[in-house]
Amino acid sequence: MTNNSMITRRDALRAGALGLGALSLAACGSTSSSSSSGTAAANTVAKTTTPVTLNMLTWNDHYDPQSQFPAIKKETGITVDVTLGSDDAGMFVKSKQSGQFDIVSADALWVPYYFQQGLTEPFDIDAIPVSQQLYSVSRDFSIWQNSAGYLGYPRAWSALRIYYNPKFVSPAPTSWEVLLDPKYHGKFVRENQPTDIVAEAGLATGAKDPYNMTPAELSRATEFLKAAKPAFLTLVSQNTGVVQALTNESAWFTSENLGTDFRVKQAGGPLIKAAVPKEGVVGWLDAEMKMKTANADRFSQFINAWGQAEFIPPLFKEFREAWFNEKAYKMLVNQGQGEFADALLYNQPEQALKAHLKGPQKDPNAYVTAFNSVFGA
Amino acid sequence: MSSSTTPIMSDSTTAVPATPRRRLSLRRGVLALSQYTGFAPAMVLFGLFFAAPMALIVAYSFWTQDGYEVVANWTFANYRQVFSTPVYVNTFLVTLWMTAAATVLTLAVAFPFSYWLARYVSRRWRRPLLFLVILPFWVSYLLRVTAWTIILGNNGALSRLLGVVGLSTPSWLLYDRPAVIFVLVYLYFPFAALTLFAALERFDWRQLNAAMDLGATQIQAVRRVMLPQIKPGITTAVIFVFIPILGEYLTPELVGGTRGVMIGNLVDNFFQEAQYAVGAAIAILIAAVVIILLVIFRRSLEVGEMYGR
Repeated sequence: MTNNSMITRRDALRAGALGLGALSLAACGSTSSSSSSGTAAANTVAKTTTPVTLNMLTWNDHYDPQSQFPAIKKETGITVDVTLGSDDAGMFVKSKQSGQFDIVSADALWVPYYFQQGLTEPFDIDAIPVSQQLYSVSRDFSIWQNSAGYLGYPRAWSALRIYYNPKFVSPAPTSWEVLLDPKYHGKFVRENQPTDIVAEAGLATGAKDPYNMTPAELSRATEFLKAAKPAFLTLVSQNTGVVQALTNESAWFTSENLGTDFRVKQAGGPLIKAAVPKEGVVGWLDAEMKMKTANADRFSQFINAWGQAEFIPPLFKEFREAWFNEKAYKMLVNQGQGEFADALLYNQPEQALKAHLKGPQKDPNAYVTAFNSVFGA
Repeated sequence: MSSSTTPIMSDSTTAVPATPRRRLSLRRGVLALSQYTGFAPAMVLFGLFFAAPMALIVAYSFWTQDGYEVVANWTFANYRQVFSTPVYVNTFLVTLWMTAAATVLTLAVAFPFSYWLARYVSRRWRRPLLFLVILPFWVSYLLRVTAWTIILGNNGALSRLLGVVGLSTPSWLLYDRPAVIFVLVYLYFPFAALTLFAALERFDWRQLNAAMDLGATQIQAVRRVMLPQIKPGITTAVIFVFIPILGEYLTPELVGGTRGVMIGNLVDNFFQEAQYAVGAAIAILIAAVVIILLVIFRRSLEVGEMYGR
C-alpha cells in the first residue's frame, strides 16, 4: 500500500493509458476469467447479477477503473464506488465513523484491529474460487486468521530496505547506525511517514515491537532520530520524490519499498543497491476486508471478480508491487517482467512475514509527538 | 372573554383575531425582516462552509483523543500538550518569524514594481504587464513549487549558473528556511503587487511634486505624503500575504526539507496519523493569531477603505 498520496493529474493520465492497455487484456482474458470464477464458484459465491453498488475505501494501486470495474460490473452486476484513502489511521477512522464502506483496504496488523473493533466479518477464503490463484502461504497467514475464518483477502506486500548508491555510500550499510555517520549528513531521503520512521528508529535502538514501543523504548528511538536528523535531506510526500532524489544524486540512500533500485534505474538514475540492516526492517502486506454492511453478502462475489490474475499485470507495471497472486506472477514472467518481479521478491511471499509489520499503536499521539519533537523547528 | 377586553400582553399567548394595531406591527416586523432576506444565501454559505466547520474544529480541539478516535469529553489536555511541548512553541515562533520575513520581503519586492507600474508605465503597457503578474496563476500551485525544487536543486538551473561564474552552490539553496522564504515570496508576489498597484493607481502624483517643491526630499515626500494615503493598500497587502503564509505546509514540505519546517507541517503530521484533537488545537492557535492580527489591522483599515471609498 505505500501510495499514501492522492491521485495526481499525472496519475490520472497514466491510469488512462494503463486502462487502454488493460481493456484489451481484459477483453482477451474475460473468457478464462468467467470460466474460472463461474464454474468453480457455483456453490460458494453468489451468482446473482442484481445490480448493487459497493462502496470501497482503498488506495489507488488496488484497482484499475478503466478495465477492471467494467468487467466486474458485466460479470456480477456490482458497481464499485471508490473513495481513496491516504493512510491506515485515517482510513480506520473514516470507515468507523461513516459505516458506509462495504470493502476497506488495510495493512498487516490493522486487519485484526478492524475485527477487534467489530467492523469486519471473517470469511472462508477457500470458498472463494479465485483464492486458488494465490500463493498457498498467503491463505494461511496466522495474523489474519481466527476461528471464524479469514479476516482479509491478501493483495500485495513489501518490506522497506535501505537502498544506497554504492558510488557514495561505502561500505554497504549493515545497520541503521549508518544514519549517524557524519559523512552522510544531508544525504538520506525518506517518505514522510511519521509512524514508520519512528518504528525504524525503534528497530535501530532494539525495540521488540517497533509499532508499539514502551515509553522508554520510544524515548530511545526519539534520541536516535535526533542524532540521525542531520542525515535527513528531506521528507517527501511520495515515492516518486525518493526516486527523483536518488536519480539526480542529491540523496545517496533511503529506506524504501522493494524494487526502488529498479525504479531508479528506470528513471535513468545510477546503480542503486539494497541492504538489510541487522536490526531488521518494517514492512506491510495489505488486504481487502469484508465490512459489516448490508452488502456483505456480495463481498465474495466481488473478490472473485476483482482478484483475477488477468487484472494484475497492468497494475504491476504501473505500481511495481509484489501481489500474492501466483498465477499473475507466471503471466508476468511470460510477459518479460520476471526480472522486476523477482527483484520485488514476488515469488517469495513467505518473506512478507519476516519484516516487522505495520499496525496500530496503543498511543499514536506519542509516536507523532516523538516524530514532531525531532523534525519540528 | 371578548377581544376588546383582552389585555394587550395576553394577545401573544391566546388565539384571538389580530387588531389593526397588531396587524400594523406585524407588517412592520415582516418589512424589517425582508430587508435582510438578501443576506440569506450569504448566511447559509457562511454557516455551511465557515461557521460549522470552524465550530467543529473548535470542538475537536477541546475533545479527548482516545487512540484513533476523538471522544466528546471536554478537556484542555490538547492545549496543555501544545504549550508544554517546547517543539510546538518553538515551531510556532519560527513560523511567525518566517511568515513575517516572507511578508516583508514580498512587499519590499512588490512595492517598487507597483510604484514603477503605476507612475512610469503608460496605460497601454500596464495591461500586458499586469497580465504577466497574474500569469503564474494559470499553472497549479503544486507545479509551481515543484518547479522550484528543480530550479534550486543540486543540478538545477541556478546551481549550474553559479557554477558557470565559478561559485559553489550554497547548502541552503534548497531544503532550508531561505528556500522556503524565497519560494513564498515568489508565490505571494502577485497578491501584494496587485493590491499595492490598486492603491498607487489612485494616488495623485502631483502631491509628491508639490511636497518636493515645498522643500521635502524625495524620501520625505514618499514617507509623509504618499505612504499615509496608500496605507490601506499596504495593510490589505500584508493581510493577503501574511495570513495564507501562516498556514502554509506544502511549500515547506517541498522545498524546506527537515530544516524549513513550519507549524502547518506538524499539524499535517497529526492529521496524517488521525490525531485530530491536538491537530485541531494547533490549528485554532494559528486562527487565533490571525484574528489578533486582523483586530490590530482593523484600527488602520476601515472596510470602506479596502474598496477605495
